[in-house]
Order: sequence, then structure tokens, then C-alpha cells
Amino acid sequence: MSESNYSKEKKVGEGTYAVVYLGKQISTGNEIAVKEIKTSEFKDGLDMSAIREVKYLQELDHPNVINLIDIFMAYDNLNLVLEFLPTDLEVVIKDKNILFTPADIKSWMLMTLRGVYHVHRNFILHRDLKPNNLLISPEGLIKVADFGLARAVPGPREMLTSNVVTRWYRAPELLFGAKHYTYAVDVWSIGVIFAELMLRIPYLPGQDDMNQMEVTFRALGTPTDKDWPEVSSFAGYNKLQIYPPPSRDELRKRFIAATESALTLMENMLMMNPQTRWDTIQCLESEYFKELPAPTDPAEINIFAQKA
Amino acid sequence: MSREVSKTPESVKLESSEDLQKEDSNKPPNYKRISDDDLYRHSSQYRMWSFTENNLRERRKQTNDRAVSMINQQLGKFMEENKSTLTEEETNTLNVKASPLSMEEELQLINFYSKKVQVIAQHLNLPTEVIATSITFFRRFFLDNSVMEYDPKNLVHTTIFLACKSENYFISVDSFAKKAKSTRDAILKYEFKLVESLKFSLLNHHPYKPLHGFFLDIQTVLHGKVDLKYMGQIYDRCKKKITDSLLTDIVYLFTPPQITLAIISLEDEQLISRYLGLKFGKEDATEASKGESDTSIENKEEDEEKEAKPSEEIELNKLLAILADCKDKLEKSLSVTTDEAKRVAAKNYYCQNPSILLQKLKRKLEASNAESPNKKQKVEE
Repeated sequence: MSESNYSKEKKVGEGTYAVVYLGKQISTGNEIAVKEIKTSEFKDGLDMSAIREVKYLQELDHPNVINLIDIFMAYDNLNLVLEFLPTDLEVVIKDKNILFTPADIKSWMLMTLRGVYHVHRNFILHRDLKPNNLLISPEGLIKVADFGLARAVPGPREMLTSNVVTRWYRAPELLFGAKHYTYAVDVWSIGVIFAELMLRIPYLPGQDDMNQMEVTFRALGTPTDKDWPEVSSFAGYNKLQIYPPPSRDELRKRFIAATESALTLMENMLMMNPQTRWDTIQCLESEYFKELPAPTDPAEINIFAQKA
Repeated sequence: MSREVSKTPESVKLESSEDLQKEDSNKPPNYKRISDDDLYRHSSQYRMWSFTENNLRERRKQTNDRAVSMINQQLGKFMEENKSTLTEEETNTLNVKASPLSMEEELQLINFYSKKVQVIAQHLNLPTEVIATSITFFRRFFLDNSVMEYDPKNLVHTTIFLACKSENYFISVDSFAKKAKSTRDAILKYEFKLVESLKFSLLNHHPYKPLHGFFLDIQTVLHGKVDLKYMGQIYDRCKKKITDSLLTDIVYLFTPPQITLAIISLEDEQLISRYLGLKFGKEDATEASKGESDTSIENKEEDEEKEAKPSEEIELNKLLAILADCKDKLEKSLSVTTDEAKRVAAKNYYCQNPSILLQKLKRKLEASNAESPNKKQKVEE
């Protein structure tokens, strides 16, 4: 009967499969969010996205992953009680009244990578990382959210769908339609988010799936068999325009404020070949997090608009 | 249903040692990298679905007690309402044939239907993991729900269908219903109840992955000393035995790697004792330390002891004792005969539908009454 433990006060969002309300946990007065899954809409019973979200959030308990506080059934609807997270990285990036520093970016990257590292070490792929799914708590903590596309790490011969991840954050192996892929797809997405944080505009904004390849390879170079063995055997590879990878100097010009180790981290997260792309541990242990400036204390980052 | 939030002592420990990426000098004094063992303790399978034998019995007893008192109440009411018309024979029949099931009888019926879940899921050509999850969901459902409250046959398709979705093997409900010769409504009717009874814990760690891992590691540790073709043969047999073990209580009492080792050991005891001896034995410590450490075995051991030792070190004798216990329980788990299951199923039906039992009794009496005069006549003629 835990529905009586929570109040739904304000509707704050409506997606294809859920309505989100803000409310309170009656016993503590804490603010919470209730994601009400519209089960009646689905002719196949409980929706797959809802099942995935419940399944994976049950297993994950980490300061940088959204906390599932409770689940309850009411009026044939499934309700997920989640911690209240007032904003997200997309809002912050877009709001030009918010000023943030390289140390703030480092803090967000650190928290994002820690959260995703925890997801990965539980043998889970997120498959939809983007600024909009990196929520921010009142204390400034990044919380990886929305596990509606997540799945277990596949076995060696398992076939997967490549139709995952929002287009701009989609790794090259997915663009090529790979039937097997792994943790590296999430690292790519974080790499694109890193670039977007530094540029404050989307880094690889493809207009459609074909254009996404064009945009990606023009910015980062078309992969060849030399750095990615057998990449040319993907269907459609032959039609591609071959761009050279950007030189360090070109990157420096594009990312003016970035330090050398920031560029090194970004380059290794955006490695074309998923086999040589860094994993979350390599990212977390990179020089970027050791050099100055130190990452800002999350509570000190001002994420609400400042009137200039 | 409120979810038990995972603020166990382990979880606090896990979060506090989370700052693992800080520079070496900043590491807290009790710094410890999180092991696979810690992660398993954090899983919902360990938190919610691992029990001691006593816990497990207690839980089933509670479920059975609740259902028994419900049935007795209904039966009492029925007897009371029909007091004036019940004959002595009818009362006797009711007492004998319409009594609630015992905990043991419930378990027999659950075991029988778990096997049915497996057979049907195999018949539908589903992948091994989906079959395993179907069985697991089904058995977990009946830990907290009695077969006197929910007829197990109504949950067979529901669990298989949910397992498909949960294991990312989507089939639309219509084509599933067609293949399973069921209906959409029958399949979905108890889906919510099922998910709720599973306490929204859907991720299972089945022993197939440890089996794969141990086979690779055995071939590394015993390199050149095992025949690869032979290993391939026992691999398939072990896989089958793992699926069978999911039909038993083993899964509540032991961790997946423990079950795996016990099963390989049932196939080839020597292989496992050589492997574990080399890997964890004291004498061959040098050779063993070359293999990668695997701490996931010691899941059920006490924390204090674990912390007193380096995490790689596993006490071989203790492990062997756990495996012996697991093997013993695996060998002792019995399957239920169809006749026995039919008997229990009939009892289950009549205790919930006493009037049907009485109708049946009446028809039987009428039939024999109708028959007897004829017989008499025959004799007289």
C-alpha cells in the first residue's frame, strides 16, 4: 500500500510511455519524482522500456546513478518513485545565462564516468547517454538516468540491434550497423558530451542517419582498415568520403580552452575503433583528472541561471 | 508493496569506498577496491532471493498458513450453510478430500509445474537464459503466493512471457498466445501480480556464465592436462544439469559459482579437486597464484573472516565443504510423479470447490443406485 506514502503534486513531463509527477514522500517530506508508467497503453502487457528500467535500477546503487526509492502499483499503473532531480546537463548547456568553468566540466565528467563505470562493472550497457539523461541533484551531483534502452552485456555470439542511442551520440560501429558491440558505445557518447560541454553547442549534429556518418567522419576522420581492421567490410563503407583525422593543432583550434590532457582524453573516448577506445577505467585514470584545475566541488557549481 | 531499500551495511561500505579514482595519497585508510563478491552481495538476487534453509521453510510455512486458514474459513462457511442438508457420507468425503494442502503438497505441485514451465519453454524454442528465467520467476512467485490462492497452471504462460520480455527476447503477446495455444487475456491477467510478487527484482544471475568462466579457467590452470574434446562433452552435460538445478531449492541456498562447481564436480569429481587444489591449495601455491583470482566463490562466508585475509585467498577446505553440501542437496532433490501431482491438484481443486466435490459424489451415488437394481434384477432372473 505504499501509494499512500507519496503525494503527486505537479505533472512535470509526459513521454511516450510515462507521466512524471513531482511530489513528496509523506513520511520524510522529501521531494521525489513519480514516474507513472501508462500500462494500459500497451497491448503487449508491461512495456519493455519499463521492464528494463525497473530491472536495472533495482541492481544499481551509486551516488552518480539515479536512485530508485520505491515501486508500487496503483490503479493498474506501475509507479517508480525516484529521487527528485531538478535539472539536467542539456538545460545547463543550453542556458546561456549559466556560466561554467573548465573545472566545472571536469567535475561533471568525473561524476558521469564514475556513474557509467558502476553501470559497466555490473555488466550493463546504458545505450542512451546524452546530456538530457544526465540529471543533476540539488547538491549538484550528476545522476545517470533513463535505463529504458539498457541491456546486459551480450555474450560472445549474441546479436544485438544497432538502432540504439540518440543519433548525435551514436558511436561509429552503431552507424555502420554492427550487430555486436559492447561498453565502448557508452564511452563514445560520453566523449561527444565532453566535446559539447567545451563547445556549448552539439558537437556532431547529424540531420539524419546518413548525414550523421558524414558529420562524424568529417570532424574526426574516416576510419580505415589500418586503425580499425576490417572496417571496410561494413556494408556501405565504399560509398563514404574519406576524410583525414584532425591534427592535434586543428583540435586545439576547435577546442580553444582545452588542455593537452583534456584533448588526449577526448581523442581516446572518440577513437573510431571500439577495440582501442578507452574504457571507463582508463578514462578515470587519465592525466586530465590529475592535473590542475581540480574538479569543482559539485555543491559549488552554480547550475541555476545567473543574471549577467 | 514497498521495496526493501538496499541500505544494508554492505551498501554503506560500498559507497564509502567509492572514491576509488582519487589520487593514491588521498585514499581513505580502509581503502579497498570493490570485488565481484561485493557486487554480487549488492544484487537483488542476493539481497532478496537468497535464504538459509530455515528462512526458506519459514517463508513457505507463512504462505501455506495464510492459505490454509483462508480455505478452512471458506470450508467452514460452506459446511455451516449446508449443515441441514449434508449427509454423513458427504461430510466424511468433504473432510477427506477437500482439506487444504500441506506445505509439502504445495511444494510437490510447484515442482511439478516448474518442470512444465521448462518443457513448454523448450517447446517454444526459447534461448536457455529465457527458459532459466521463466523457471526462476515461476518458483519465486510461489514462495509468497500459495497454489490455493493462484492456480499454478494460470501462471505458466505468464511467467514465460514476462521472462521473454525481461531477457530482451521480445515476442508480441498475440504471436506468443498463438504459439502457446493460449489467449492474450489469460497470459496478461496475472502479469502485474507476478511482477509485484517478484518484488520488481527481474535480473537473474544464472550459473551458465560461471560455467563458461570456469571452463576457460580450468583449461588455463590445467593447461595440457585436460582433453579439449572431453571438456566440450562435459560442458554440454553440465549445462543441462544447471537447468535442472533451477528446478530445485539449490538456487536459494548457494551462489551461482558454487552451484556451477558442484555440478562440474558431479560430472567429474577428480577434475574439480585437481583444479581447486592447484588454484587454492596451500602446497601448490606458486602455480595457483598464476591463475586469476576468483573471489566470487566465498559469497556466503562470513564477512569478518573474509576481511581478516587477503581477498584472493580462499580456504580450500571450507569451499570443498560447501560444494559437498551443495552436491548432496542436488542429488537428493526428487522429481514428482504425474500421479502424485494429479492427486495433489485434485485435492487443491476440491478444497476450493467443495460443492463440485459433492456434485461428483451425488452423481457417483446415483450411478451406483441406478446400477444396483439392474444388477439385482439380473441375479433374480
